[in-house]
Amino acid sequence: MSSATWRNFFTYNKYAQITARAVRQSLKESERVVAEKRGTTALKYQQWENGVGGPQVLLNSEEAKK
Amino acid sequence: MLARRSLARIATQPSPLGAAPKNARNMATLREIELRLKSVKNIEKITKSMKMIASTKLAKAQRAMQSGKQYGLANSEIFQHTPLETPAKRKLFIVVSSDKGLCGGIHSSVSKATRRAIADTEKPVDSDSPIMVIGDKSKVQLSRVLAKNLAMSFSQIGRDIPTFADAAGVADLIVKSDVKYDGISIVYNKFVSAVAYEPEIVEVVGENALKESAGFRAYEMEDDVTKDLAEFSLANAIYAALVEAHACEQSARRNAMDNASKNAKDMIDRLTMQYNRGRQAAITNELVDIITGASAL
Repeated sequence: MSSATWRNFFTYNKYAQITARAVRQSLKESERVVAEKRGTTALKYQQWENGVGGPQVLLNSEEAKK
Repeated sequence: MLARRSLARIATQPSPLGAAPKNARNMATLREIELRLKSVKNIEKITKSMKMIASTKLAKAQRAMQSGKQYGLANSEIFQHTPLETPAKRKLFIVVSSDKGLCGGIHSSVSKATRRAIADTEKPVDSDSPIMVIGDKSKVQLSRVLAKNLAMSFSQIGRDIPTFADAAGVADLIVKSDVKYDGISIVYNKFVSAVAYEPEIVEVVGENALKESAGFRAYEMEDDVTKDLAEFSLANAIYAALVEAHACEQSARRNAMDNASKNAKDMIDRLTMQYNRGRQAAITNELVDIITGASAL
C-alpha cells in the first residue's frame, strides 16, 4: 500500500473522482440517483497557442474512449 | 443640367400616387406606435419571466454557495500558516466566469480585474503570465486584449450549480498541462449581497512553494503527499470560486432583468400615451373636416 503506483498514471484529483464514483455506484437506488447529480460534469476544454484556440474537447468522451 | 431638371421635377410634379390623405401621416405613425407597443410588451413579458427564473435559481445557488465556501475556507487555513517567503513572479491566472449573457457586468468585471492584476505595478507579475479562462464570455473578452497569455479555456460550466467534479476536472487539466507557474491566482466575483458583487483574487500556493515554506519544513512530509495536497487544494479553491461566481451571476441576472422590466414598463406607458394622443388627434381632425364640410353646405 505504501508504494502506490496509481501516481504514475493520474493525479490525486482523478483518483478522488474515481473513488467517489465507486462510492456513488454502491449506494441504494434512490440515494444513488440523488448522488449521481452531484458527480456530473459536461466540461469542455480547448488549448490555446499564440492567441489561437485549438479544438474544443469534451473531457468525459476521452475517458469513455479509454 | 440633368440634375437641375430632376430637382425641378421633384419640386413641381405631384407624386404619381396622388396626394396622400391628410390623416395618412398620423395613421402611419399610429400603426408604427402600435407595432412598437406590441413588441415592447412582449419584451417585458420575457424579461419578467427571466427575472422569476433567476430569482428561484438564486435561492438554490446561495444555499450551494454557503456550503461550498467551507471548502475554500478550509483551504485557506493551510495557506495562512505557510506564508510565501518570496512573492511569486510567474502567476497562473484562473478567470472564473460563465457562458451565458444577459447578466449585467459579471464577465467584464472579472476580465478587467485580470487585466489590472497583470498590469499592476505595486506587485509586479510577469507580463507573459499564463491565463486560463472558465466561461466563453470572458474568454472572448480576454482573447481580444491578452490573447498571447491564454493557455487553456473551459466551457459548459455554470449551466447548473457547479459540482466538485467540474472543479476536479479543471484542476486535473491544469496540473497535467505543461504550464509553468510559481503561484496561482483565482479571479472571481465575490458575493457581497443580493444586489452587489465585486471581483476578488484568491491566491493558491503551488507545490514547490509549499515545500519550501517554513511551516511545511518543520514536518517530515513525503513529496508524494505534498503533491496530492497541492492538487486537492487547487480543486477546492476552484470549487469555492465556482459556486460563489455562480451565485453572483444569478443575482446579477435577476437585477439586470428587473431593471429591463422596469424600463420596458416605462416605455409601455410612454408609448401608450403617445398612441392615445395620436388616436385622439386623428379623430379630432376628422371631426373638423366633417364639420367644415357640413358648414360649407
